[in-house]
Amino acid sequence: MGTAEGVDLRVEIAGIPLKNPFLACSGTFGNGREMSELVDLEALGGLMTKAVTLEPCAGNPPPRLWETRWGMLNSIGLENKGLERFLSEDLPWLSGFDLPVWVNVAGFSVREYVEVASAVSRSGLAAAVELNISCPNVERGGAHFSRHPGETAGLVARVREVVDIPLFVKLPPLTVGMGEMARAVAEAGADGLSLVNTIPAMAVDVERACPRLGNVTGGLSGPALHPVAVHAVWEASGSVDLPVIGMGGVWSCSDAVELFMAGAGAVAVGTLNLVEPRAVPRLVEELRGFMSANGYLTVTEMVGLLRRKGWR
Amino acid sequence: MPPLLFKTTLLERRDYGCASELVFRVPPGFQPHPGQFLHILCDGEGRLLRRPFSVFGHNGRSASVLVREVGGGSAWLRRRMPGDELDVLGPLGRGFDLDGEEEEALLIAGGAGVAPLVYLGQRLRERGVRATLFWGMESGKEYGTLPERLGEEIDLRLATTDGSRGKRGTVLDLLPCGSSGAGFRYYACGPRPMLLSLASRLAPGGLSSLQVSVEERMACGLGACRGCAVPVADPPGAYRAACREGPVFGGEELDWERLRVST
Repeated sequence: MGTAEGVDLRVEIAGIPLKNPFLACSGTFGNGREMSELVDLEALGGLMTKAVTLEPCAGNPPPRLWETRWGMLNSIGLENKGLERFLSEDLPWLSGFDLPVWVNVAGFSVREYVEVASAVSRSGLAAAVELNISCPNVERGGAHFSRHPGETAGLVARVREVVDIPLFVKLPPLTVGMGEMARAVAEAGADGLSLVNTIPAMAVDVERACPRLGNVTGGLSGPALHPVAVHAVWEASGSVDLPVIGMGGVWSCSDAVELFMAGAGAVAVGTLNLVEPRAVPRLVEELRGFMSANGYLTVTEMVGLLRRKGWR
Repeated sequence: MPPLLFKTTLLERRDYGCASELVFRVPPGFQPHPGQFLHILCDGEGRLLRRPFSVFGHNGRSASVLVREVGGGSAWLRRRMPGDELDVLGPLGRGFDLDGEEEEALLIAGGAGVAPLVYLGQRLRERGVRATLFWGMESGKEYGTLPERLGEEIDLRLATTDGSRGKRGTVLDLLPCGSSGAGFRYYACGPRPMLLSLASRLAPGGLSSLQVSVEERMACGLGACRGCAVPVADPPGAYRAACREGPVFGGEELDWERLRVST
């Protein structure tokens, strides 16, 4: 990569330094252990863990997956082994790597969110908390919050009180209004936004006349989600002065650059990890080449470039 | 062995009726256990995810899978020609346990579920275990000349739904009369209804001698995404990932009632 020398991929987001701007999205990388058999975890800019809930969670009935054209539906339902084992088994293991970890926190009540986020912060092993208020696959704690900016702000404020590390809030693409929701979350004390979670979606097996997913509905991810994510990042970054991690169907370097230019300070790779475990190292090299070819020396030069060029 | 991620060249495609065996080169150190699978990219037309295929054959420098067309991905894979590139992740998952007190193994296959059992049969025979392959299919010509080929290497009994070859009926009609587990170990792979029937025939006492390879839609293949959930008996209500904790499960491990409901 001789031609790409001089390109600086480092970014800082909410005060957290990243060696490159590519994170792995929550739920698509486990808690790193399985993927570490195939990819060097330290090649990632950061890792967003699988959602952690207070108690162990068995998840939704199968089938949990369905592939659509250029997309994937999932209804995993927050399957995880619960806070206690996460803190004793996974987080200490992850902290052995040179890798900032965003712990994705989910809950079925405000009390659960507060308890989990507080424990994660106190552990001293996480770089940030990512509050998952937008999982489309659980009744409460999921899509509910995303329709009520006031309640969301209340939750964020409660969690803010008990968390001493940067607090990100992961929002769904379909909310009352991205600007309104982003402002509510910012005023409640969030340090950053993760945009976006999956879109609520559904598919039907017409031969058997039944839903494709055991949970009936699920969330759409993959390339089909990408332009929706670009739009969400654009809307949010025009409404609040918070760092944004853009995510949704990133499949190539130019997908990531779109998110940067729309306003994202870093991007996260999701569904692609499931297909190509070494996607992030590949994208890092592609980005280096893109920046070199287009005369960018730092990622920051691309972040929010559309607005700096006058687009509104 | 830890899984490998590699691009390889298709060496040969052998067509057998509705299915094709794809033979490709494998990297040094590639050593799959019977029942493990390979996760193969089936690119194009908006398809994103890899497709899982059990190891059908392996002889050091090459391995093969048996591809039956069930959708766009497998149709694409079946059209590959020698010289084409394949993107393969594997071997993945937990395979069959080759140890057991019983000296005779009954391998019970439905349709393309024969693939892992053929490779298993080879390994069992190398260990001196007597193995018989029972294979059920729709009609005698469905898998072309594959029955002849397999019959040369293993004791093979066929059942067909239309009675055009072997015994008319299902593969379970081929099993020794009254066999309810005693004296045999059972290895099975095939459609869910076949596995359910077999399990209810062996239950409760014989389930400990049964191992099944389950088919599930998968995403990562590594156990990270938890997409390929299979209901297990212990703890009640729990799931295991078919791609990592399976695809082979012991008969006593699975929650057969929940499997029945979701079928």
